[in-house]
Amino acid sequence: MSKEIKTSEPWRVGVLFSATGFMAVIEETQLRGTLTAIEEINDSGGINGRPLEPVLYDPGSEAAAFGRCAKRLMVEEGVSTIFGCYTSSSRKAVLPVVERLNGLLWYPTLYEGFEYSPNVIYTGAAPNQNSVELCAFLMERYGTRFFFVGSNYVYPRESNRIMREMVRHNGGEVVGERYLSLRAKRNDFIPVMQEIRAAQPDVIFSTVVGDSTTYFYQSYADCGFDPKTMPIASLTTTEAEIQAMGCDVGAGHLTAAPYFEGIGGASGLNFVRRYKKRYGEDASTNMCLEAAYFQVHIFAKALAQTNSLDTEVLRPTVLGSEFDAPQGRVSINSYCAHTDLWTRIGRANDEGQFDILHESAAPVRADPYLIGYGRTVAFG
Amino acid sequence: MRQRGADDMPGAAPMPFADLDIGVFARRDDPGDHLIRELQRTRARVRHVWPMPEQISVDYDLIFCEFCPDLPKRLPWLPGLPSAALILVLPVGVPLDLGVLHLCAPHAVVHMPVTPDAVLSALAIARSHFLYERRLRSRIDKLDDNLRTMRSVERAKAILIETKKLSEQDAYHFLRRTAMERRVSIGALAAMIVDSQELLG
Repeated sequence: MSKEIKTSEPWRVGVLFSATGFMAVIEETQLRGTLTAIEEINDSGGINGRPLEPVLYDPGSEAAAFGRCAKRLMVEEGVSTIFGCYTSSSRKAVLPVVERLNGLLWYPTLYEGFEYSPNVIYTGAAPNQNSVELCAFLMERYGTRFFFVGSNYVYPRESNRIMREMVRHNGGEVVGERYLSLRAKRNDFIPVMQEIRAAQPDVIFSTVVGDSTTYFYQSYADCGFDPKTMPIASLTTTEAEIQAMGCDVGAGHLTAAPYFEGIGGASGLNFVRRYKKRYGEDASTNMCLEAAYFQVHIFAKALAQTNSLDTEVLRPTVLGSEFDAPQGRVSINSYCAHTDLWTRIGRANDEGQFDILHESAAPVRADPYLIGYGRTVAFG
Repeated sequence: MRQRGADDMPGAAPMPFADLDIGVFARRDDPGDHLIRELQRTRARVRHVWPMPEQISVDYDLIFCEFCPDLPKRLPWLPGLPSAALILVLPVGVPLDLGVLHLCAPHAVVHMPVTPDAVLSALAIARSHFLYERRLRSRIDKLDDNLRTMRSVERAKAILIETKKLSEQDAYHFLRRTAMERRVSIGALAAMIVDSQELLG
């Protein structure tokens, strides 16, 4: 990479989220979060006098397109830092590219863990930061019989494996497990609802993502089930999905996340205000958007120090750095390049926001390989 | 290795590159002709393509590509997942751009005009680096897989210790023996035990 000398040339960075296709509901909010942060940084004078210039590509919700776009970003646009990816399949498509060309991917999404790439900074929750607490909470409040419903790809299957381990080890049981296409429509959920009716679980644990989230919650409502006694608990249903499905449909269901719009706090309120000012009063923030937002700020802080986009210099500066994110103070764990984040459990209310039912006393250290959890994940 | 003439004789030393499909994407001037002749001596199947196509095809084990500024985007694979070993060919008088070189991620480089030694050593190094990277990638895939499997094995062991009242050592032996008898991997067997335990409740 070229040495940075005195110049007002922009810092060019890649931005890789789907603005079209079945993942756009959530990925577009991550795109907005990224752009909001970039705008803030540029409004306050850029980094060392140079503005950030986002180079945007839309992979259209297709995993393989993420790999091709990452190649174009690095090879044709000459970019080395990329903010992007929601699904694990898309992250895995980008990995070889950033690893071979020594780029840096900033990945603002919760995922199933069990990965460590020296070319990725992970700013979403690892399983020990959401599912462990969620499982304990559900078993205590609702009961021990779980029904798993997920989209058919790597993340739901992997996170269900971890969830099953926890449920089983803590005396619960998984009474059903179904996977549907990422493109599943409303009708596809009817048989699942019939199974749920027959199995009578205490909790439905959902790892359904994308557009089909709406159909899933809607068919639940159509069946007349009651979230008070058999809620859908999710790691992926954020304010964005609730807004898409309708607040009445989402009300009463649970989600575990590091951030909800409803948490308040000075940094959180500021962030919400700025976001609504740009995208309108109806636009909600969510955990994926928040991670997409704060990771750009962490990047900017590091870049101000290094004055170079060279991954070899930038990454060590990022590791160990801290930031007052909307969710509270977070830090990049220098051991695993994941982020130490807050754990919260929220219940959707009639306004499409989440009421906080539980929150960790401090940020929870990221443990992507669940090393601190022994052979079985017990609570305690 | 380079005793030419001896190559043609029965009982000559094996030709390590004889099975390779080699693509040469370089202009066919004198140095280009010379490069192709040297490659043909290795008994590899050598195909020449020029002018440089928009997208290089994937049907080769190894390709020699003349350096050009937009070569990175003409390569058919994603960086990090090459389908062939890549050797950059630097023509006479063309300035070297280290940035583009980095983006091509070649396995070796030769400067025109080539000497026979330069061609052979680039060929050997590129092929061995390419295969080595592939082995490393498969090792990483395997490691990732094993990490997940280890959790199943640990849990299966815990189940065996509890239900069959075995010691940890005996539980592991049980897994290993049963896996061998059934001709499945220990990981697969462990997953079965964990699943069936779940079914039985």
